[in-house]
Amino acid sequence: MELTKVEHLLASYFEGTTTLQEEAELRAYFSGSDVAPHLQAYQPMFAAFAQSKDETFTREVVLPKEKKSTNRWWLGIAASLLVAIGVFGFFNQEPTLTAEEKEAMIAFEKTKEAFKMLSQNFNEGAEELTYINNFTETKNKILK
Amino acid sequence: MRQGEFLAIVLPIKDKLYRLAKRILVSQDEAEDAVQEVYLKLWKGRGKIKNYKNPEAFAMTMTKNYCLDRLKSKQAGNLKIVHSNYAHSQNVAREIEANDGVALVFKIMETLPEQQKIVLQLRDVEQFEFAEIAKMLDSNETAVRVALSRARKTVREQLIQQYNYGIN
Repeated sequence: MELTKVEHLLASYFEGTTTLQEEAELRAYFSGSDVAPHLQAYQPMFAAFAQSKDETFTREVVLPKEKKSTNRWWLGIAASLLVAIGVFGFFNQEPTLTAEEKEAMIAFEKTKEAFKMLSQNFNEGAEELTYINNFTETKNKILK
Repeated sequence: MRQGEFLAIVLPIKDKLYRLAKRILVSQDEAEDAVQEVYLKLWKGRGKIKNYKNPEAFAMTMTKNYCLDRLKSKQAGNLKIVHSNYAHSQNVAREIEANDGVALVFKIMETLPEQQKIVLQLRDVEQFEFAEIAKMLDSNETAVRVALSRARKTVREQLIQQYNYGIN
């Protein structure tokens, strides 16, 4: 870099009006080996800044251990609520029938009644059959 | 946010935080403690960290504030040391016999007012844009430029004074 440009940049630098790009040019110039004698006094300044940037944080950052379950209290409440609803529903079970089912039930009872009557009459009829047997036996005796 | 995710965001800036802390607090031990403390604070407030557009600037501001607070409480309990520091800073150019120019620059930087120290660190060491520095310091670009110009000029004056003194 030309000496006049360096001097110009340096003047701006001390006024705080250089850009990052211009400051990079200055750093490059002062880290080189051919710094003009009357500017060598500035060299340690730029060297110090560069050296500062090499420092690193070597310690391990320690953070508190993470809790595995965070804010799961609502899960317990939800579970017990579900159980409560289940038990309540179980004990409150009512045989509720629809109108159709009731009708069917009545029809079923009536049919049962009818079958009962039928079987009673059947049995009565079967008793009457004994007379027919007697008649057959007598007839066979006579018509031998 | 899990710790891995958190560290991926904030760990890459640990060196910058440390250097800023050390610039303000000088002591390496105290600077390391400060960085650790800042990370704890960031972790506790991790819910918010994603909302900040620039976690780096946010962490830098937090470090600066924490270190300045540390400095204040230290000075409050230790007035005598502060006074001797002050007396020392007045004669820094004459007291230091070091021929090493770089070491001299570091010594001079220690004597700068806090705000100038911080601005010099953020600009000449970390190379942040003026807008970024202004945001970190809750200031404006003009004020940052003024503080920076003063800091640079002070370093120059003391350095040249010492340089001539050394030669003669």
